[in-house]
Amino acid sequence: MSTRPFRHRRVPVPGPVLLLTLLLGAVPFVGVPEPTAAQTAARPAAAKPATTAGATIAPHAEKSVRFAVIGDTGTGGRQQYEVGERLTASHAVFPFDFVLMLGDNIYGGERPQDFIKKFELPYKALLDLKVPFYASLGNHDDPNQRFYKPFNMNGERYYTFEKGGVRFFALDSNYMDQAQQDWITKELSSSKNEWKIAFFHHPLYSSGERHGSEVDLRSVLEPLFLEHRVSVVFSGHEHFYERLKPQKGITYFTSGGGAKLREGNIRVGSAMTAKGFDTDRSYMLVEIADKTLYFQTLSRTGALIDSGQVEVMPPPPPKQPSDAAVR
Amino acid sequence: MTALALTLALLLVPVVTPGPPPAHQPAPANPIGTAVLGFKQRVADYVKVHNDAESKVPKLSETNDPAKVHDREAALGAMIKSLRTGAKEGAVFGADFRVILEREVRKDFRSRSAADRKALIHELPAKMTIAVNTTYPTELPLATFPARLLQKLPDLPPELEYRIVGHHIVLRDVTANVVVDVARNVVPTIPS
Repeated sequence: MSTRPFRHRRVPVPGPVLLLTLLLGAVPFVGVPEPTAAQTAARPAAAKPATTAGATIAPHAEKSVRFAVIGDTGTGGRQQYEVGERLTASHAVFPFDFVLMLGDNIYGGERPQDFIKKFELPYKALLDLKVPFYASLGNHDDPNQRFYKPFNMNGERYYTFEKGGVRFFALDSNYMDQAQQDWITKELSSSKNEWKIAFFHHPLYSSGERHGSEVDLRSVLEPLFLEHRVSVVFSGHEHFYERLKPQKGITYFTSGGGAKLREGNIRVGSAMTAKGFDTDRSYMLVEIADKTLYFQTLSRTGALIDSGQVEVMPPPPPKQPSDAAVR
Repeated sequence: MTALALTLALLLVPVVTPGPPPAHQPAPANPIGTAVLGFKQRVADYVKVHNDAESKVPKLSETNDPAKVHDREAALGAMIKSLRTGAKEGAVFGADFRVILEREVRKDFRSRSAADRKALIHELPAKMTIAVNTTYPTELPLATFPARLLQKLPDLPPELEYRIVGHHIVLRDVTANVVVDVARNVVPTIPS
């Protein structure tokens, strides 16, 4: 599997202008091709955003699995709402079918009004468009969030679902007990999907100065991911964006800057970092078409932070017959 | 001389007479196994209380209304607290299991690198008052329980979970958000 920089279709923009644009995030639709007729037709009227879509890249394929990824969102603060607006604007250009939530969905109190202020209102436009959200639990989340239907957890702390042939596994990384380990082992073993994607709160690899890699959790999960060929893992917890260099063939993303920000927290010179962004909030847009996953990461101001593609984990090589069998 | 020595030797030889056969003694029990079994039994007893409480409050299924989730958690918590009025700290962990728990936790922490311990302590809610049969404060994060340590402790039923709060390990009712028991000062001080 490889992670290669994606050559997206930019309109020619002079270098200094582009730099200024990315810094300010003010000029709309840099590098975004005009939507096709099909895309325009699929765009519901209610999706009209309050802000522009910034540098959002349109989908690559007509038939593909498209989703957004947000993490550490539930503050109810201004920045969460701003990211929510950007996300809605991106949806107009990149009509994603669902959203993955990487935990810390509701910070602080979890009174009924908190669910409104910290989830329903910031993402109202998308919820009105019936875009489903799939949540995982963070360390700030009451596990009873699993009964809150808009989080689509089916009353479970960990669960799995399939979209267009892609199998997703939402884990509760707060509490990796034997029951959950048995469950994920069984689910991964029985999944015949070529694409397996896991998402949960705590990153197995991270260059964050505050938290860093969750070595403990990694010792439990990584062998399972390798054995069952999980291609991509999304996590939050660290309040920034980081794309890790592939670790043992798996691509890890940390996208925990959906509302909170831990500015300057990515260790400078970390050998693990392929791309880091810790100066503003961010979110991700992902598309899976056949064997390729395309990703783009955008900031609260609409600037393109990162983009590229990841190939699906190849199947294991066929077993060679042993000498004894040959004889 | 030889006769004297022989006489002395004979005098010193204890008289051995065949006594009654010893009564059957049960093999001494493994104290760790006994403590763990006792803990599991007390956990099972608690689950009966939990189930009793569940049967007395409205059932909860998925809902779009966060107020229903909130109210149900509060109702279940209140019911459990009333059924366990007078619950004593240490009643579920038990004194013998607490010793094992402390030993396992300290051993686990010793095996961790300084960076790992530092990362762990960042997660822990520290200045937090906890008491048996009270609501776990929802304003504070639920610190992640270290996965490797969890593997060394007895499995809990889905109604319960271990949590670390400061230097204490808490047994928490997951759906009722109630502190079921506390084992104080079993988590070592981590040098900063």
